[in-house]
Amino acid sequence: MFKGIVGSRWRLPIAAVSAALIFAPLIIPVFWIYILTLIFVTALLAISLNLVLGYGGIYQFHHAVFYGIGAYTTALILTKTSLPMWVGFGAGPLVAAASGLIIGWFCVRLTKLYFGMLQISLGSLVWIIVSRAYSITGGDNGIHDIPVPTLLGSSNGVYYFTLIIFMVSLVVMYLIVKSPFGCTLQATRDNPQRCEAVGINVRRHQLAAIGIAAFFAGVAGVLFVGLERSVFPGLLFWVFSLEVFVMCLLGGWFTFAGPIVGAAVVVALRTSVSIYTDYWTLVLGVILILLIFFLPEGVMGFLLKRLEPRPIEEGRPLADVAG
Amino acid sequence: MGRNGECGVFLAFSAHPSLLIRESQRMELTLNLDALSSQLVIGLSRTMILFIVSAGLSFVLGVLRVPNVAHGSLYMIGAFTAYTIMAALGNNLAGFWLALLLAPLVVALVGLIVERGLLSHLYQREHLMLILFTFAIGLILNDLVKFAWGAEYRSVMPPEILEGSLTLFGLAIPRYNLFLLVSGPIVAVGLWLFATKTKIGKISRAAAVDRDMVGVLGINVSWVFAASFVIGCYLAGLGGALVAPTLSITLGMDHTVIIETFLIVTIGGLGNIWGAMIGSLIFGVGQSMGLLILPQYAVVFPYAAVVIVLLLRPTGLLKSVW
Amino acid sequence: MLRVEAAEKSFDGFKAVNRANLVVEEGAIVAVIGPNGAGKTTLFNLIAGIHKPDTGKILFQGENICGLAPYDICRRGIARAFQIANIFHRLTVFENVQVSVLSQQRKSGVLFRPAQNLAVEETNSILASTGLLNKARRVAGTLSHGDQRILEMAIALGSQPRLLILDEPTAGMSPEETTVTMELVKHLSQARGLTILFCEHDMDIVFSVAQSIMVMQHGQTIIQGEPEEVRQNEQVQEAYLGGALSLSKETSDA
Repeated sequence: MFKGIVGSRWRLPIAAVSAALIFAPLIIPVFWIYILTLIFVTALLAISLNLVLGYGGIYQFHHAVFYGIGAYTTALILTKTSLPMWVGFGAGPLVAAASGLIIGWFCVRLTKLYFGMLQISLGSLVWIIVSRAYSITGGDNGIHDIPVPTLLGSSNGVYYFTLIIFMVSLVVMYLIVKSPFGCTLQATRDNPQRCEAVGINVRRHQLAAIGIAAFFAGVAGVLFVGLERSVFPGLLFWVFSLEVFVMCLLGGWFTFAGPIVGAAVVVALRTSVSIYTDYWTLVLGVILILLIFFLPEGVMGFLLKRLEPRPIEEGRPLADVAG
Repeated sequence: MGRNGECGVFLAFSAHPSLLIRESQRMELTLNLDALSSQLVIGLSRTMILFIVSAGLSFVLGVLRVPNVAHGSLYMIGAFTAYTIMAALGNNLAGFWLALLLAPLVVALVGLIVERGLLSHLYQREHLMLILFTFAIGLILNDLVKFAWGAEYRSVMPPEILEGSLTLFGLAIPRYNLFLLVSGPIVAVGLWLFATKTKIGKISRAAAVDRDMVGVLGINVSWVFAASFVIGCYLAGLGGALVAPTLSITLGMDHTVIIETFLIVTIGGLGNIWGAMIGSLIFGVGQSMGLLILPQYAVVFPYAAVVIVLLLRPTGLLKSVW
Repeated sequence: MLRVEAAEKSFDGFKAVNRANLVVEEGAIVAVIGPNGAGKTTLFNLIAGIHKPDTGKILFQGENICGLAPYDICRRGIARAFQIANIFHRLTVFENVQVSVLSQQRKSGVLFRPAQNLAVEETNSILASTGLLNKARRVAGTLSHGDQRILEMAIALGSQPRLLILDEPTAGMSPEETTVTMELVKHLSQARGLTILFCEHDMDIVFSVAQSIMVMQHGQTIIQGEPEEVRQNEQVQEAYLGGALSLSKETSDA
């Protein structure tokens, strides 16, 4: 049924990378295993954003809020209730998706920049509430030492757990992108008015995409809890959202795997830069400017352009297309 | 007699507590009125700062169509620069005025360098790239501020003449707040005069409506953009300089202000200066009134107001210039 | 099949469409003509649901479709091709049409089946009948202007309409492209039994293709009838050719 959905020349590299990741813990030091796990979590978040940003053309400026909601939901269920742990892990993505649908329901009535503004304000509202509700969320301090299943006790356990969920999520999201739903979503990005004219309910389609993206952001949030065993308001701060935005841009936001590259670069850079200097955001800013000037299609977009035999159309301003 | 006594006791019981309640209610009421009006003054002064900053944002948005994410950082630079000038010259009037004059100019200079050096090469690019560019500038400026001033809290006092409070209509109003209440409208009028009476102002308004037309008229659109961007930065710096004596100046003060001014501009109508005024009122007064009702969640009130406004009027209260 | 009765629409006090009437019979090719700014495009926008008429009725197969959303109207069998090439620039030609076909088959929301295996036959048949099959793998934004306009029409066909509305299908085309396009329109009408409503500036095309012509001026319907009837109508000659005639008179006077 899924035959031919992944181009044949990609199969070998994908298999090689997967194999390398599976055997990585045998070779790499523990610290870098931790970093790899963090990259998986962040990459999942970035890809989920790209689902609405790159494929849907939706200015979801504050995507991290769903990441935070997923993480907090799990954290709260694990610490404040006596429900079984799997309930906590399952509830995170679902609550994130539900909040995505609620916030999205308000936002899809607006277009482009106005959508982004309303999305930021609603997201910031959630952030404010979370960072002030000391009695429930611990406010600025967050929640720490969250009990997790023994499976996640060792760094290798966390690594494999995260890797498996990450891989499964990737496959599911890839299928969604290649499905009629995904194809139609890209059409709404290119030309919403035309979509209406061929019988597509654009708003409902966008809302569904936001719900799906929020779900996977929630999955990433839950994985973060499994990895760090703590949550804090910074997870749903809007500056972090912009950082995720940068990952999509850096990797290439018209490609599926681009955000993974972006997340890997940003996380790895942050880790190594932080060793030498406190001025990480300066470095990030400079990188971003260099990207905007010299590599606007991102790393993956650039590589694909070099590799593709068939002509890819000229970098056409998205704003023009959407009118 | 027993009956009387009973009655008396009954009366005493019924009269006394209710009296007490009435007394306490009256106290609360006067307290509330006091609190209400002083909160109103605080809210209105906050409104003025927000207006000055968001007017700058709105101006840039109207002409360049770029929501300048770095605007908050520029505001922060304005505050820090004003702090440095005031601290160097001591707590006197000259230092204060000099800070008010120079700090915005420093910020405007930063804006000019950024615009001429980088941003001006990007105008043909996708909208999203421009937004991301200003975000990058914001990140860089933030770290430069950290580099120049460090991460500690800083504070300055207003000059003596603006210290303390003034009693007006039986209300004690801090003088500095009064100063802010006056300067906000002055800036508004100045901006209005600039936009309607000066040549460059008229051109930039025309460019906001139809930039192709301005180009056809033989005006160098690029310089119009530069001028508008610099004016926007100047206003951010002015807001920062004015706010400096009222709060502790620190890294991170840009985050709240940028979100707030973004939303103000959005609910006001993108690029509409008067809309920015209304939006600032909603934010400034909404938050200070919220403090009376639900102190811990006061910040929520303006955000909730934004949501309501955007749901009722999805493109803002006043006409957007786009 | 389609009946517009006394439709009116004004923008900021300007009456773009003012008491327009239109009848489209099943299977017919109907043209709307009129000078620039006569309200043809606005009338089409009213029918397609992009604007809602202020007053009047629009009946499609006996049902009032006024005020329905564009996607709803499309699902009832009215498809529209736009005056400008209104396509999905980043998708391939195949995907452009497929999106439309999938929507018609109510499969736009299908999540876990690869799109590339769905609705392939239908899409290819439309591409074949519009002559785009050999360009199916191209990214739509890279096509020539003429091909983009034809793709525009192919997208409209993807929703398997009963009534196809074309807004100046040959605007900006070379004479060769124009001929090909109009042959295509005639072919679609005959082979697929499509009802077609179009507007056009080129009078030769209109009078050679249309079976019924509606003339608009200042948003108002002057007449609707067979080509010959319209040609003979004095009011039409005055309204449509009047400017040109008086101009030539003036020049001859001078």
